[in-house]
Amino acid sequence: MRNEHIINLIENTPLASLSHDDLVAIQAHTEQCSDCLRAFQAAQISVFLLKERAAEQLEPSPFFNTRVLAALRERQTANQSWTWSPLWRAAGALASSMVATVATLAVLTFIIPGNQVASGPQISSLSNSYSAEEVLLNQSEQLSEPASDAQVLNTIYEEEAVR
Amino acid sequence: MRRYSPRVFRFASKFFRQRSLVEEAAQEVFLKAFTELGSFEGRGSMEGWLTRITTNTCLNLLRSAKRRPELTVSDLTEDETNWLDNKLTAAATEQHQSSERSLVASDLAARVLQTLTPDDQLVITLIDGEEASVKDVVKMTGWSESKVKVHAFRARRRMRKAIEKLLIREPGWNKSLASSRSSE
Repeated sequence: MRNEHIINLIENTPLASLSHDDLVAIQAHTEQCSDCLRAFQAAQISVFLLKERAAEQLEPSPFFNTRVLAALRERQTANQSWTWSPLWRAAGALASSMVATVATLAVLTFIIPGNQVASGPQISSLSNSYSAEEVLLNQSEQLSEPASDAQVLNTIYEEEAVR
Repeated sequence: MRRYSPRVFRFASKFFRQRSLVEEAAQEVFLKAFTELGSFEGRGSMEGWLTRITTNTCLNLLRSAKRRPELTVSDLTEDETNWLDNKLTAAATEQHQSSERSLVASDLAARVLQTLTPDDQLVITLIDGEEASVKDVVKMTGWSESKVKVHAFRARRRMRKAIEKLLIREPGWNKSLASSRSSE
């Protein structure tokens, strides 16, 4: 062991678990080998540092439990809202499609018939610009049945009587 | 929670020095425990179950923390440099231990540990710092025995090399070691 490097030994086993024989062998070897002496010293410092680190312990603050319970409640609320969110989204989509349908029906019911009503007087006003003779003559053209002289005269006189 | 929080807190404080991080870890442990209480089958102890949750939570937090690639002599504070010098002459080991020196040592330990991987940090802290057995760490982490041993070996090597690198800055370090040994 005196001629064997001890680096493997100190890396494989925690220093606290080294046996007495191991320690004697390490002592004997490090007297001759400066590399192993340095490694052993560094390993000792390393263990010492770790023990110092492990000895440092913190205690919970008096408000720790309250804080954890508050965080738990917050997380549960977040989870619940997350569970309901797809339903809310589906309901929103349904409501908006219903609104769109109602709006379409309203347009079809009120606005389009209104246009038809409005076009009625326009036609009548246009037709008013024609004289009775023209109407009768046009009608007679469309019907391709010639109006009799008596019909024409009656229409003219009726018109004049109204005026 | 009142019963177990001191234990969880003490366990988490082995891995984090900042109180805020320890609280964050402990809070996460209890939140997980509350939400996964149904998965606790009562086969083992509640303490063991919580220790396992704490170990995994601390490991996750260590993984998310920024890792220092390397610690150089220039990163050391004056106190840390003095501590190492004193350590070399064996003045700070058993003899002049003070709480202030412990604080410096603990700070230096945290800085050296930060150069290791999170898994290595966890294993070396538990085995070499806490003197936990390999089997204990296997229980806590759920890893295989060989994985724990490999991490312990690697962590010891990295830590030793990091410290050697800090010690080697002085050309006469060997002399101080020799003198410290002769005085023992």
